[in-house]
Amino acid sequence: MQIEFTMLDFLLVAPAVALFIASCIPLLIKVLRGNKEQNPFATLIYAYMGIVVAAGFAVSTTGMARTAFDGALVFDGISSFTTLIVLLVAGVGLTFSRDSFSTNDKQFTETMFLTLNAAIGMLTVVWANDLILTFIGIELFSLCLYILIAMSLEDKLSKEAAFKYFILGSFASAIMLYGISFIYGTVGSTFLPDLIQATPNLLATNRLFLLGFVMLVAGIGFKIAIFPFHSWAPDVYQGSPTPLTAFMATGVKAVSLAFMLRLVASQAFTVERFWPFVDVLQWLVALTILIGNVGAFRQKSLKRMLAYSSIAHSGYVMIGIIAAGIGGASMLGASGVMFYIFSYSIMTVGAFGVLHLLEGRADSDLTVEDLKGLAAEKPWLALSMTILMLSLTGIPPTLGFFGKFFIFSAAVKQGLVWLAVWGVIGSVISVYYYLRPVVAMYMETPLLKREALSMRPLSYFVVTFMALVVLIIGLASEPFYQVVLSSVAKVF
Amino acid sequence: MLLSLLIFTPLIFAAIVALVPERWIRPTSFVLSILHFALTCTLFYRFEPGRATLQMVEKMPWVPTFGVNYFVGIDGISFWLVILSSFLTPLVVLGSWTAIEKNVRSFHILLFMLMTSMIGTFLAMDAILFYTFFETSLIPMYFMVGVWGGSRRLYATMKFFIYTMAGSLFMLVAIIALIFMTQEQLGFMSASITDFYQLQIPFVANTFLNTQTLLFFAFSLAFAIKVPMFPVHTWLPDAHVEAPTPGSVILAAVMLKMGTYGFMRFVMPIFPSAMEYWAWLFLLLAVVGIIYGALVAMVQPDLKKLVAYSSVSHMGYVMLGIFALNIYGATGGLYQMLNHAVSTGALFFLVGMIYEKTHSRQISDYGSLAKVAPIYTIIFVLVTFSSIAVPLTNGFVGEFLILAGTFQSHPIFAVFAVTGVILGAVYMLWAVKRVFFGAEGKLIHEHPGDELEITAREICVMVPLVILIFWMGIFPNDFLNWSKASLDHLIQDRTHYELSIED
Repeated sequence: MQIEFTMLDFLLVAPAVALFIASCIPLLIKVLRGNKEQNPFATLIYAYMGIVVAAGFAVSTTGMARTAFDGALVFDGISSFTTLIVLLVAGVGLTFSRDSFSTNDKQFTETMFLTLNAAIGMLTVVWANDLILTFIGIELFSLCLYILIAMSLEDKLSKEAAFKYFILGSFASAIMLYGISFIYGTVGSTFLPDLIQATPNLLATNRLFLLGFVMLVAGIGFKIAIFPFHSWAPDVYQGSPTPLTAFMATGVKAVSLAFMLRLVASQAFTVERFWPFVDVLQWLVALTILIGNVGAFRQKSLKRMLAYSSIAHSGYVMIGIIAAGIGGASMLGASGVMFYIFSYSIMTVGAFGVLHLLEGRADSDLTVEDLKGLAAEKPWLALSMTILMLSLTGIPPTLGFFGKFFIFSAAVKQGLVWLAVWGVIGSVISVYYYLRPVVAMYMETPLLKREALSMRPLSYFVVTFMALVVLIIGLASEPFYQVVLSSVAKVF
Repeated sequence: MLLSLLIFTPLIFAAIVALVPERWIRPTSFVLSILHFALTCTLFYRFEPGRATLQMVEKMPWVPTFGVNYFVGIDGISFWLVILSSFLTPLVVLGSWTAIEKNVRSFHILLFMLMTSMIGTFLAMDAILFYTFFETSLIPMYFMVGVWGGSRRLYATMKFFIYTMAGSLFMLVAIIALIFMTQEQLGFMSASITDFYQLQIPFVANTFLNTQTLLFFAFSLAFAIKVPMFPVHTWLPDAHVEAPTPGSVILAAVMLKMGTYGFMRFVMPIFPSAMEYWAWLFLLLAVVGIIYGALVAMVQPDLKKLVAYSSVSHMGYVMLGIFALNIYGATGGLYQMLNHAVSTGALFFLVGMIYEKTHSRQISDYGSLAKVAPIYTIIFVLVTFSSIAVPLTNGFVGEFLILAGTFQSHPIFAVFAVTGVILGAVYMLWAVKRVFFGAEGKLIHEHPGDELEITAREICVMVPLVILIFWMGIFPNDFLNWSKASLDHLIQDRTHYELSIED
């Protein structure tokens, strides 16, 4: 078979190429300078350049072609939108990394290299139109993340977290690959469109295919951290350096959820015989929301609290994904999901950024107690944190509210009222733990001695910016929602 | 334009207050809030009381994909509540002149933010816009209680927030369901309340699981928590007792009215069948609330808690009036909302004034206060008369109308509700007796001379309220005429309610 690649193919994957080149330059410089670290800020500039160029390519090539490399990669609304989210959180994560005590050592060049390559892996997942490519992408970003977590200067928790994530992650990947092999065995292809076409018939008749499909969903479920594959998340999020947690909690989730959306929203489930599968998924989502919120309720460590809350948010997004999967008004669900992924990323990156700014040592593990009286010392930081927390709770007119509004709307429209109500109950529980930091910051007597906080203007700026975005896009959500809607519309 | 100005000028005021020098904060806030009230008073010229329409409407798309608009308008039902919100703010600024000592700037900023969300709640005619203002009103109040409150303020403020939020989130799901219903029945998506009025929502009697009943309860839960009605009232005493005086005043006078206003604006016209069918439940809860609130108030050793429980009792009357579903009840309910705002607001001011001087709210610490603080006593007794509905005061008009309306539709509930009037007199007069007369308490000896007497500034706060008590009591039509047309329309055309729009 003659395989021909056009210029367009390479243009479409240019974002990944740009990232890769940008990630190599500082490494090369380091080698040429005799293994001496250059100024981290210069490294960061290279990363920014790579990200900006990648984003430029991603935006300018949108809509040029639907697929590339003989259909192996797909460039639709979901891909281009998620690409931008990944680039954004990678940039933010690196900005935090330079400022953090647990990452800003002699190895910042390597941190930057690994982070950008993790981003490339994430991009591969969103673009992949073939299960093997998806798998490669997942492995690429996972391996980078394992090393990044272990590279933290903190001694105990991060090593435990890296090891735990590595073992469990590998296990999940193995299950997923095993599932893919079953799918290949029954469908005869790993091509996503083939799979989707074959699903309605095979799922009801072929047990082997069903097993493979379930394993595939389980593997992705692990990355999204839905029940019952969620238990790694709090430990890993807590042990990782906070900047990395910010990147990981948003980037990994965004791409895995986007893949899940692609898989579930393929309308393969409109067939009646599929209802058991949708039912099971609904129950998993309900339990995810419950466990995430109840778990967060009990945490002392703020990072663990945010980890559990991110489990709950995965649950909310999954409501939208199910709504997108059962036909009818799928558009509503899919656009709700994309909007929610965006708003979740902004809020979570911002919230972890606040924690990162408050950390005075490599091994800081902040609790609610540490926030006491922050409002008097750092009013703007406290205000940003308050806005982000209110947005995570879903108080209008913040971004978080509209995220929930669109998701719940899709659920109600698709007859999943009980999931919407369940999500609402989860939100009520979440009020308590999201407001506890606010109570500590504003209403409790200040801590006697706090670690002296060094000035980190760049991170500070990013956090404030995220809080502003949460407010402004919240107030003017319509133009933004239209963008999401039109980008998702191309999928269906 | 006027309505948007009324909603958003307080935000500009907040920005101004954020910038002025420290010692100018209070005077600036006072002048600005007076300005706002002056602006609000132009409503008296612009609003046409004779027409039962939605007036001065402004409509702009906000999230057109879901039919969500920035849609504000005013009618006879919201008219007085808007004026009330604006009227109280200068009094609150004046009343908190010395009560708020720390973070004065933040306090006034929050006060103006709260004003925006309160007025916005009453003027919003789009369900999502309403929800936005309804929810954002929680945040300033949450901080007011949490930062400036008493010793158990953290518990109280958290409880307040979670309770209210829990109710309103179910309302959000119900709103979403209604939005999709407009798409099915009217052919376009709309979150406007005026479009909700046109929906035909299927109702089946004798069963709980039908669309109209479920939606009715989702809305009612949100509003009942806010009112608060009997089984879900428990956040109120905590929040009231822990809140600083200005917080209590606003909470009692305006924020509780958001609940009762919600019943009139949403529940009554959108779910007429369910409302009629389930009225007995709410009447029952209202009557239980009236009697229970009064009985609990009677045994309170803490003066502020007593007033807080009296609030539960008084708001029960408002609910009774609304669910009587006739013109007397509805008129009385609306009037009682204003009465409660004036009298309970005044009571909270008075309790706060004496607390500021003695740092005690225990009734047993007082006694014979009338000897050292005669003017304070006179004002307190006048306000008490209003609270226990003595004829010629505003309380009488409201309660009389409500009881008349309830008697017409459900005599048995009226019979029980009347006992609340007697119990109200018992606990208030008993408290007055123990605080102002009788044996001299220890506080009288600790504060000799006229230390406990009301100051000139405090008199300035109370005079407008006392004037209103009698004005509203003797000439109720000066007030009711503004709402009459809208209320008539609401009651008569309840089952096929429509609100036409005027610019």
